[in-house]
Amino acid sequence: MLRASIPFLFAFGAAGAGSLALESAGRAHSRELPPAPEIGRPAPAWHNQSWLNAGHPLTLEELRGRVVLLNFWVFTCYNCTNTVPSLVDFDRKYRDRGLTLIGIHTPEFPPYAGEHDRANVERALGQYGIRYPNAQDNDSRTWELYHIRFWPSFVLIDKRGNIRYEGAGEFHLNDGNYQLWQRRIEELLAE
Amino acid sequence: MTARLFALGLLALALGCGGAAGRSAPLRVDRQLSGGATTLVLVAAPGVRINARVKPSLELPDGTVLRFDSPHLTADSAYFTRPPTTVLSGSERSVAGTLRASVCSEHELVCRTVTLEL
Repeated sequence: MLRASIPFLFAFGAAGAGSLALESAGRAHSRELPPAPEIGRPAPAWHNQSWLNAGHPLTLEELRGRVVLLNFWVFTCYNCTNTVPSLVDFDRKYRDRGLTLIGIHTPEFPPYAGEHDRANVERALGQYGIRYPNAQDNDSRTWELYHIRFWPSFVLIDKRGNIRYEGAGEFHLNDGNYQLWQRRIEELLAE
Repeated sequence: MTARLFALGLLALALGCGGAAGRSAPLRVDRQLSGGATTLVLVAAPGVRINARVKPSLELPDGTVLRFDSPHLTADSAYFTRPPTTVLSGSERSVAGTLRASVCSEHELVCRTVTLEL
């Protein structure tokens, strides 16, 4: 039954009611939920300083004119690493056409679990063949800025810097949700 | 009108699914006393899997961090197949601390953190 709800989460994200469904699904573990950013609203600027696969800390401002897909993940999350092959594929297909994929690596646990260590993140990038930029979000500031609740989560930002689609949950190469995100990316690239 | 009713139906279904997920606690901690030690057993609710890639922890008030573990894992070593345990020295009658675990509901395809104050 809950498997069937996942496409709804994606679908409602596009319609602007995604936050409702996501917040409801997250009630079991959340206390006070801040309002989710509205679809179509300007994406908030992140300020992460520690980046991998990037020559300098990327800013939202410098990516204006490109479509940006944010992937909130952590290397200890199985659902996240299962989705990585699809993201690597998107990066390979669409980087030259104007997509910038950015991993926002947000630890689940305190530092004793090792998720905050840059070397561990770097090792995971190598292990999964990730070449797109990744920001360490060790203080969860960007996670909170985007009102994220689940690993993995996705935020698709258009060329003008507006949030257009949001969603959460594992997907695989060429499955239904992969194709859904692919259509969304192509839609925004064509604008 | 029909489209609006259909959309409302979908919304109700999605909210209903979420609400069902929110009604039961995803984890509980059982305590077993034996040989002067206390074993804590982390038990997941039906349909909930405990992430073995980041071992659940219990942060005690004095700053000590205990990690739950079990050798029984899924073939891909992603989840525990039997409840992970940790051992406290002494036969504490009550245990206080912050429990953290990463859990994944079998059909949601997302991970979430559960934090419980014991």
